Amino acid sequence: MIRVFGYLAWRSARNRMTRQLRHLRSPRYLAALLFGLAYVWFMIIGQRPAAAGGVTPDPRALELVGAVALIGAVAWGWIFGVERRVLAFTPAEVTFLFSAPVSRRGLIQFKLLHSQLLILFNALLWTLILSRERFGVSSWLRVISIWVLLTTLSLHRLGASFVRTSLSEHGRLGARHRIVSLVVLGLMLIALTWTIGDALPDIVAARGGGLRQILAAMQDVAGRPVPSALTYPFRVLVRPLTAHTSAAWLQAIWPALLLLVLHYVWVVRSDSAFEETAVEVSLKRALALAERRRGPGSSFRPPVKASPPLFRLAPLGWPAGAILWKNLVAATRTKRVRNAAIALAGAGAIVTVLSFDPEGTLAELAGWLAASWAGITIVIGPQWVRNDLRGDLLKLDLLRSYPLRGWSVVIAEVAASTLMLTAIQLSLLVIAYLAFLGNQTMTPDLEERTLLLVIAVIYLPGINLLGMLIQNAAALLYPAWVRLGTGRPGGVEALGQNLLMMVAFVALLALTLALPVALAGGSFLLLRPLLDGWAALPATALALGTMAFEAALIVEWLGGVFERTDPASAGIAG
Amino acid sequence: MIDVEGLQKLYGDFPAVQGLSFQVGPGEVLGLVGPNGAGKTTTIRSIAGIIIPTAGRIRIAGHDLATDPVVAKSALAFIPDEPHLFEYLTVEEHLRFVGRLYRIGDVGARIPGLLDELDLADKRGALPGELSRGMKQKLAIACGLLHEPRALLLDEPLTGLDPVGIRRMKATIMRRAAGGSAVILSSHLLHLVEEICTRVLVMHRGRTVAFGTIAEIVAGRPELQSQSLEDVFLALIGAEETAER
Repeated sequence: MIRVFGYLAWRSARNRMTRQLRHLRSPRYLAALLFGLAYVWFMIIGQRPAAAGGVTPDPRALELVGAVALIGAVAWGWIFGVERRVLAFTPAEVTFLFSAPVSRRGLIQFKLLHSQLLILFNALLWTLILSRERFGVSSWLRVISIWVLLTTLSLHRLGASFVRTSLSEHGRLGARHRIVSLVVLGLMLIALTWTIGDALPDIVAARGGGLRQILAAMQDVAGRPVPSALTYPFRVLVRPLTAHTSAAWLQAIWPALLLLVLHYVWVVRSDSAFEETAVEVSLKRALALAERRRGPGSSFRPPVKASPPLFRLAPLGWPAGAILWKNLVAATRTKRVRNAAIALAGAGAIVTVLSFDPEGTLAELAGWLAASWAGITIVIGPQWVRNDLRGDLLKLDLLRSYPLRGWSVVIAEVAASTLMLTAIQLSLLVIAYLAFLGNQTMTPDLEERTLLLVIAVIYLPGINLLGMLIQNAAALLYPAWVRLGTGRPGGVEALGQNLLMMVAFVALLALTLALPVALAGGSFLLLRPLLDGWAALPATALALGTMAFEAALIVEWLGGVFERTDPASAGIAG
Repeated sequence: MIDVEGLQKLYGDFPAVQGLSFQVGPGEVLGLVGPNGAGKTTTIRSIAGIIIPTAGRIRIAGHDLATDPVVAKSALAFIPDEPHLFEYLTVEEHLRFVGRLYRIGDVGARIPGLLDELDLADKRGALPGELSRGMKQKLAIACGLLHEPRALLLDEPLTGLDPVGIRRMKATIMRRAAGGSAVILSSHLLHLVEEICTRVLVMHRGRTVAFGTIAEIVAGRPELQSQSLEDVFLALIGAEETAER
């Protein structure tokens, strides 16, 4: 049976690769590949530091930071129950394999092994990414260390989702069945709560001394008995990466491997829930894909009741406005967006109250978090918010049949996600503004903070528009290589890919923003002697005008690409 | 109304459609028939402006699809074999959405009649996920008919419909043709073509094998007299394949 599975995996992978390579006959794809290879070379391999010299990161600090990041990833898995897609079989696999004389457990183990392809690819990618740093002993040992870490994390999140399934579907009976897992989880939760309560005052007190002081405070806390026990399994996984001699690596890898094996046993011994979930996820996915195949626009999610639209669409007006309206309505009917809006509103109300507390530590922390997230979303937001062409290109047939020019479709699609992302960012900034409202001693002061908020209101829509145009350009130019639809590769296994994509995106965004920034900066410096602070006004106008001009050029160009794209040749639909 | 002249579509070196020319006037229903891979869908999608032809000219209501696509597309409706719907728009919102795209000022007045005609009146607030396959197809048809197109393109229009839906769909097509629309439909259901099409275009490997009314096609081949369209079709395709060998 293994030979059959091997044949299926090998032939599928080979044919898939052949199909992808066939796209290289198009100069556009060939240029992208060459650019990508050059990018990987310059970003990763070309910049590898010389063998001697340089600063070696402190292994203990690295181990702790890695462990904290892993705790975050694990907590995310327990809260949101991801990774079940690992077990999703394709419709063809359901049709051919489920009815074949193959044991269910055999199928599931095959699927787990199959998921290793992505993990191995990302382990290699991370090895390249980390090759610039002074991690580990050698590249080969680093690959093994990263593979052990990613596989264990993936298995852990899978196991977590089974426990969640048991609890949600079988209630008390499920809880009894998972008693060991739940006891361990409960102990860790208590330890985590205790650790946060114990560590927060020290870490908050150290924040004035910068990152080094915060790290030192964290290390001090991690040395205490409860936090030390809590972080131990996570540090065990990170330790092989930080080992600098072969002997140290050998000593570190065995506990990590043991943890991996324990996780495998935990997941595979989850018997009935394991199999039930696999079948359930597979059937859902099979149905979804079959629906999608029947018609790109057809529903591939469980039916939901429609809430009233955000606003009514007037029958007359800019025709492409209908697409903008559709995308905004779709967003408001997505559970994730609704929950985010409720959370943002709730957070805003809480921090406003907290900001007038004389201590103000929590509000301040929330304020810094909100402000940091607003900044981070400039980079990751355009990859997350996808209610635009990336979602609609699967319906290219339909879009192309509308009486609209390509540029108007592009601008309407991109406007929707730009508006949504800007709304999220401004909400976060308003939360940060409210959090610091009662703070009289802070620098920047209230007047300067108000000015910063106004600047954000002015510039963020333009920056987001350019960011969204870059993301949509990638989808339109390389539909065969970009994942279309609202989902995107996720999970710990795809972290490496997403990181590389993000760095490339940041480089392109910086390139498009270079001219507006240079022109605005230059004009401000030139006019300042004449106009003093008012020189900011023409500088801002110049920056916004340049951004608008760049956006118009990109939209016009993408509109042409949209009109010329053949759905069948591009491998999108039809 | 629909004027196709020298239509050619190549995928690499493979000719999906070659040298296709025909006209469909107001009130006419043209049936596109042919075996799988004959080029029917490519032809319909080219006329709908979804595929860009390699060569040839397409005019809708006198407007060139290549040079004046917005006006040309405003006059036509394309209804694919599978319903393409937006998962988060309700039935009525789909129609309002299409109304804005096609600049229909009285969309609110048109919606009730159309929903009644297609038996969707009690589903106006439902999302596509709550509709059956046939109802989704009816909604796609309603979206296509909302702007009262002068050229109607249907790709396998009866797929997924129940017997009542099939009867209603046939009546809808004939009503639109009687109202002056030019209709092209592609179908493997030869009895449907025989029943509602005024002319038939038989395609094979991207080429025209026969074109005209069924009587005209049979008149050119006396051996096919008094045979059903299915027999005529098989004879035409068979003869074509023999000639190619």
